[in-house]
Amino acid sequence: MFRTCDITGFKVDLNSEKFIRLNAVMAVVSLLLAIVAAILLVFTRYQPVHLLDAEWYYRLTTFHGLNALIFWIVFFEIAGLYFGSTVVLNQKFCSPLLGWVSFVLMVAGFLLVDVMIMMGKADVMMTSYVPLKAHPLYYLGIILFAVGALLGVSLFFANVVNAKREKNAGETLPLFTYGLVAAAIIAVITLATGAIIYIPTFLWSLGLIEAMDPAVYKLVWWGLGHSSQQINVSAMVSIWYLTTFLALGGTSINERVSRSAFVLYILFICLASAHHLLTDPATSSAWKVWNTSYAMYLAVLASMIHAFAVPSSMESAQRRWGFNKGLFEWLAKAPWSNPAFTSVVLACIGFGFIGGTTGVIFGMEQTNIIVHNTLAIPGHFKGTVVIGTTLTFMGITYYLIPLIFRRKIVAFKLAQIQPWLFFFGIAILAVSMIALGQLGVPRRHWDSSFSGGPFTHTFNPSVDFFWTLMMLGGSLAFIAALIWVLQVVVSVFFGPKITGPQDMQLPLSPLAPAAKEHKGYEAPGTLVLTLLFLATFAVLFFVNWKWLAATWWVK
Amino acid sequence: MSLLAPSEGWFQKKVAKDERMWILIAFAVCIFLFVWMIMWHVVGRQNPSNTTYKTNPTEFAQLHDAYVKKNMIGMDNGIPVVKPEPGSDVILMGQMWRWSPALILKKDEWYNLHISSKDLVHGFSLQPSNMNFQIYPSYDYVLKFKPTAAGECKILCNEYCGIGHHAMIGKIVVIESDADLAKYGYDKLSAAPADYSSSATEEDISGWSNEQLVKAGETVYNLKGCSGCHKTDGTVQIAPSFKGLYGSKSKVSDGKSTFEIQVDDAYIETSVTEPQKHIVVGFEKTQMAKLDLSANELKQVTAFIKSLQ
Repeated sequence: MFRTCDITGFKVDLNSEKFIRLNAVMAVVSLLLAIVAAILLVFTRYQPVHLLDAEWYYRLTTFHGLNALIFWIVFFEIAGLYFGSTVVLNQKFCSPLLGWVSFVLMVAGFLLVDVMIMMGKADVMMTSYVPLKAHPLYYLGIILFAVGALLGVSLFFANVVNAKREKNAGETLPLFTYGLVAAAIIAVITLATGAIIYIPTFLWSLGLIEAMDPAVYKLVWWGLGHSSQQINVSAMVSIWYLTTFLALGGTSINERVSRSAFVLYILFICLASAHHLLTDPATSSAWKVWNTSYAMYLAVLASMIHAFAVPSSMESAQRRWGFNKGLFEWLAKAPWSNPAFTSVVLACIGFGFIGGTTGVIFGMEQTNIIVHNTLAIPGHFKGTVVIGTTLTFMGITYYLIPLIFRRKIVAFKLAQIQPWLFFFGIAILAVSMIALGQLGVPRRHWDSSFSGGPFTHTFNPSVDFFWTLMMLGGSLAFIAALIWVLQVVVSVFFGPKITGPQDMQLPLSPLAPAAKEHKGYEAPGTLVLTLLFLATFAVLFFVNWKWLAATWWVK
Repeated sequence: MSLLAPSEGWFQKKVAKDERMWILIAFAVCIFLFVWMIMWHVVGRQNPSNTTYKTNPTEFAQLHDAYVKKNMIGMDNGIPVVKPEPGSDVILMGQMWRWSPALILKKDEWYNLHISSKDLVHGFSLQPSNMNFQIYPSYDYVLKFKPTAAGECKILCNEYCGIGHHAMIGKIVVIESDADLAKYGYDKLSAAPADYSSSATEEDISGWSNEQLVKAGETVYNLKGCSGCHKTDGTVQIAPSFKGLYGSKSKVSDGKSTFEIQVDDAYIETSVTEPQKHIVVGFEKTQMAKLDLSANELKQVTAFIKSLQ
C-alpha cells in the first residue's frame, strides 16, 4: 500500500515507512543509553570527580561502546537502507514478514547484550579480547543482532533488484542509493566476519571449544570492528550528497568520479582492520604496511575524492543560484538556518580535519607506536564516528521527522543551534583526548593515579589542562545530544501533524539551474579548502613523526 | 542528482580542471605515504619487530621464574629487580596485575626484550617515552630496544585486563653509569635473598630454621606474583593484606553461605590450591587465579605470611 508524498511526490510504501520508523526509534533509544553512559565515564576519568568505581567504569565503557558504535549506528543504517531502497526508488518493501524477523532479531540481540552487561556478566569491553570471557548470552546477543542486521541488508538488496527489474528506479541508481549499495556490500563483508569470530567465541564460552587463540581472535574481530565503521563512512558520505541535493538542489559535479570513489571503498577500505594490529606480534611488517595502507592508500584516495566532491557539489549549486562572488560567497550565503545542512557541513569539517588526519597518521605502521591504545585512539574516532557519522545522522533526521514521521519539529530554533553545540562539544572532547593520548595517557583506564600499584607515574603536567577541557567538551556534547534526543522524541510523538508542503520547516530546494558553458575551475573555493586541509595534515604528519623519532630505538 | 537518476551524459562528462588537479595531488600524497612507511624501515630507528615465538603461558611463566631467580639483584616494592647485561635476552612478563621484573638498563645499549603474558592480553606502554605495544599470552614478542635517554620509566598496562588493570605498572630505570644507581635507591639493594633453588620440592627442608623459611617465602611471594595484589603494609585494594592476616578470622563465602574461618596453615593451602573454594567477602570481583606452588614453596610462603604480624 502506497501513499504519495504531498511534499516530494515520491510514492511511499506504508510497510517500508513503518520499518524505517521502528528502526529509527531503536536507534534513538540506543543513542540515549550511550550518551548517559558517556557522561558518567567522562566524570570518572576527570580525576577531581572520579565518579564511578572501577567495576562500573569498565562496565559502562563496555555498555557505551556497544550502544554508540553498534546499536545506534546499525539501527539507523538499516532505517537508511530501507529509505534508500524503497522511498527514493518509489519501490514496494519486498517482504514485510522478513522485515519483522530482522527487526525482532535485532531488538532481541540489543536487549540480551545490554542486560548481560548491566548484570555484570560481560565486563569485557566492546572488543572482548579472549581469553577475557563473558556470559554466553552476551555473545549470543551479538550474533542475533548481526543476523538481524544481515537480513535487513539482504532486504535492501532485494528492494534494489526489484526496483531495477520493475523499472521503478530508471536506468541508473541515484547517487545516494548507489552509495548505500557500497555501504551494504561492506556491511555484508563486516557481518560475515563477525559471524566467523563470534560463533566460535560463543561456543568457547559454553565450554564446547577448549581454547581460542588471542592473536587470531583479534585479527578476525577487527574485520568486524573496523569494517563496521566503514559502513558508516559510506552511508555518511551518501547522506552528504543527499543533503546537498535536498538543501541546495545540487549534486556531485562529476558523478562518475564520485561513484568510482565508492567502488574504491568497496575494494579497499576493509583492509584497514590492520590498523589495530600494527604494534602486535604475529604479523610481519610487509603484511602491516600493505594492509594498513589499504593497498597504497586507495581508500584514503576515495575519501579525499569525496572531500572535494561533496563541498564542490555545494559550491557549484550555490554558484548557479547566483552566489558567485569571490572564493567564498557560496559558503557565506549558504542556508545556515537549515539544521540538516549545517550538520553536514560541520560533519565534513570534523571528519576531515580531526578524524581523517589523525586516522591516516595513527594508522601508519610506525607512528602507531606512539598512540596505540592511548586516549588518542578514541579521540580519533570521536572525530570520525561522532562528528562525522553521528552528526550527519542527527542532521538528516531533521528531514526524516517531517517526511517519514509526518510531524513538525518542535522548538525549531533549538534545532538550528544544536549542530553547532554538538560539533564544538565533540571537537573539544576529541582534540583534548588526542592531546592526552599523545602525552601517553591510556584509554580504558580507571585511575590515572595508579592506586594500589607498586609504583606510580606522573604524566606531563599539561594533562591537567586537557582533562579539564575534555570534561567541558564532553559536558557540552552531552547537553547537545540530549537536546537532539528530546527534540526528536517530543516531535515524533507530540509534534503537530504535517498537513502539506506549507508545514515544511526545512526547505526542499528545487534543482539548481544548469551551468552555463564554462571553462577552468568549477569549484575554486573548494580547492582552496582542500589545500588548507592538506596543509593541516602536513603539519600533523610532521609533528607526529618528529615525536616518534624522539623515542627509544626499537626494531 | 543525488536523489534522482543522474542527468543525461553523466558518464561521458569530462572531469573539471580543479577536481582533476585535486585527485592527482591526493594520489601523489597516497603514494608518498606508502613509500614513507617502507623507507622508515631503511632510515628510521623505530620499527615494530618482526620476531615472534609461539609459547604458552605456563612455559613462559617458568621461563620468567628461572630468569628472575638467576638474575635478580633485589626487590623494589614487591617486584624483583634485574640488571641485564647489554645485548642479552631479557624476559619481561605481564600478568594480572604487574610487570615483572623491574629492569635496570644502560643508556645507548641494545637489549632483546622477550615480552609475553601469563594470562590475558596486556598493553605494554612505556612512559614517558610513550611507546606502546600489544602483548598476548602464547606469543613471545621480541622487541630490541635501545634506550636513548637516562631516567626512570614506567610500564603502564593500556589494554583492559580486569578490575585491577589500573594498578598494573612496572618500572625500567635507565642509567648512564653505575653511579646513577644511587639516584633511584638501587645502590643499596639487598643481595639476592636466600638461595631460591633450595625450595625445589625434592629437597628436604624440614631442618630449616623459621628465619630461613620466611626469607625464602618472601622470594616466593615476590616471584610468583602474590605481591601484585596482596600488600604487606596493611593497604587493601584488590586483595586482603597479608599484614596481621595469619591467626585472624576471615569472613568468606563458599557460594552458598557466608561464615568466618580461621586463617591457619590449612586455610592458606586451600586458598592457593583451590582459590575458588572460599571467597573472601568484599573481594568477589577480584578472585584469585590458581597458583602452581610446590609443597616446599607453600610451606615457605606460609611462614612468610605468619611472620607479618
